[in-house]
Amino acid sequence: MNKKALLIGAGIIAVAAIGAVTYTSAQRKWTINTVVKITGIAWFNRMEQGVKEYAKSSGNNATQTGPAQADAAQQIRVLEDLIAKKPDALAVVPMDPATLEAVFAKAAARGIKIITHEADSQKNTLYDIEAFDNVAFGANLNKRLEKCMGGAGKWTVFVGSLGSKTHNQWADGGIANAAKNTKMQLVDAKQETADDADKAYEKAKEIIAKYPDIKGFQGSASTDVAGIGRAVEEAGLNDKVCVYGTSLPSIAGKYLETGAVDGIGFWDPKDAGIVMNKVAQMVLEGKKITNGMDLGIKGYNKVSVTKGAGAGMIIRGAAFVDVDKSNMKSYPF
Amino acid sequence: MLSDGHIRFLIIANGLILLVAALLSKGAFLDPYNFQSMATQLPEIGLLAIAIMLTMVSGNGGIDLSVISSANLSVIVAALVCKALFAGADSSAQAGWSFSVLFVVIALTVGTLCGLLNGLLVARAGYAPILATLGTQLLFLGVATVLTGGPAVILGDIAPLSSIGNGDLLGIPIPFLLFLAVSIGVSLMLSRTRFGFRLYLMGSNAKAAHFAGIQTATVTLVTYTIAGSLAALSGIISSTRSASAKADFGVSYLLIAILIAVMGGVNPSGGYGKILGLALAGVALQMLSSTLSFIGANDFLKDFMWGLLLLLSIGLTDSSLFKTKPKPAPS
Repeated sequence: MNKKALLIGAGIIAVAAIGAVTYTSAQRKWTINTVVKITGIAWFNRMEQGVKEYAKSSGNNATQTGPAQADAAQQIRVLEDLIAKKPDALAVVPMDPATLEAVFAKAAARGIKIITHEADSQKNTLYDIEAFDNVAFGANLNKRLEKCMGGAGKWTVFVGSLGSKTHNQWADGGIANAAKNTKMQLVDAKQETADDADKAYEKAKEIIAKYPDIKGFQGSASTDVAGIGRAVEEAGLNDKVCVYGTSLPSIAGKYLETGAVDGIGFWDPKDAGIVMNKVAQMVLEGKKITNGMDLGIKGYNKVSVTKGAGAGMIIRGAAFVDVDKSNMKSYPF
Repeated sequence: MLSDGHIRFLIIANGLILLVAALLSKGAFLDPYNFQSMATQLPEIGLLAIAIMLTMVSGNGGIDLSVISSANLSVIVAALVCKALFAGADSSAQAGWSFSVLFVVIALTVGTLCGLLNGLLVARAGYAPILATLGTQLLFLGVATVLTGGPAVILGDIAPLSSIGNGDLLGIPIPFLLFLAVSIGVSLMLSRTRFGFRLYLMGSNAKAAHFAGIQTATVTLVTYTIAGSLAALSGIISSTRSASAKADFGVSYLLIAILIAVMGGVNPSGGYGKILGLALAGVALQMLSSTLSFIGANDFLKDFMWGLLLLLSIGLTDSSLFKTKPKPAPS
């Protein structure tokens, strides 16, 4: 009798406990902290909009923070404090991936899930999110340039430096795209501009002098199109020469208005912020991100998932944003 | 000890910050892990502050602006040499030990040499300390950048080296134990040794010290050299903590380290400064910073609060509330 009562009692307690656990897990609000390289600059302010939007739509406690100075040491300190606070997940845009490996290992040991962005060499991350494949991004820029040039003529491509991995991947993507069209004639490829608008301006002037019939420029550093645009404008070639490149509306906007620069490409940090948090949530819910998955954000509708530098995976979207004079006002950064 | 107005202010400030932090975080701040985390973060800046304090105490506008560059150069040279020497070595415990010992020895040597160069420029060549160390700051940063090409040198997880930055003894982080040991050592050096006495005397009045037969140039040289060694120790802690060495790692620490020294009651024009004050100021800043991170405040608010605390420390300790020493009678 007593035994039976005990069993029933134990049974009730177990059911109640399971019920309580499932109830809390269904109701559970995740705390996800996004940590950026530096706070207070336009790029990461834009990302914060995404984080806020995610927090609102998901109901999770998602916030963004970061150091006031662009210093890897300060980013570590911010992370250390957050790890002590023990959020469920950290979504980090590393200043320098190598310097964060130890602190990420510490976070993981405390049960915190780590998601990164722009850090495809990071080892101690579960998922690193890249906005796009760099070669595809370069090819996309070149396709727009090709269209503007009417599919024929002389063109060239600038890079910030030959040592910059991403710039070269973008340039190579563009060159490979143009090589498919025999009427596109590449001249003096990969001039270095040292990420300096003045250098790009001088190089563009030289190219215009050397090839008066030049039809197109593709820039890689965010300052390239600004320099090229100035040279094109001074030569009075706004309507004759097409200029496309990686840049931001805040840098190239002036020349987009006048038509000296025809279009720019970049990725939207706001979307990257949303995707990082979404992926963090999926990881917390025990879900896996698989090849071809739709993350529900434009540009991340069919992501590619490949093995990363460590045990984690790299998620790549196709999230390039094409901007020209008509839609530049929607990207105020 | 409690008769010192500055120290009293800092003790009260620490208590208040702790209280407010505990209330704002609803007790979460008092988690032992959080104290461990703060005790891991403080030492690398604290050691830099001690280095700067020593140069400030030496007077003659003494300051060492090159501490961070020295720290980074020290560990970069150590990392590059050790990685080259142990490139083909097995990952045995013995290789780990030799790597670690060599790393520490090289880093401390390079740091000491950096400090010696500062000392020579100030004491022998007669450069103003602010100019000499501003120059060497850029020089060391430049050399470190050329050596690495910019990106971080990856150290990786090498036992027992990585435990310097990440390990603990009975729950107390090893960086904090190192900081404690250095603090006690420097404190004893300043209060109990002839060198300390000479340093304070020289800082208060270099001329009087000179005529009292003190070799002021030698004292200055030794002071800057010690500062270089302390910088290297800070570099060893931060590089093992981040498992990497980078030319511009922690460049934003410089003003914080100066802030800690000044808030700790070190007289920037020389002759006065106590380790206890510096340590309390360091703890106050660390707790304030962690509190703001804890409640999710903007990082810029941290800078603001630090500045406010500095102004308060100067203002309040100068007021009658904290003042203990009577003002000298006008002559």
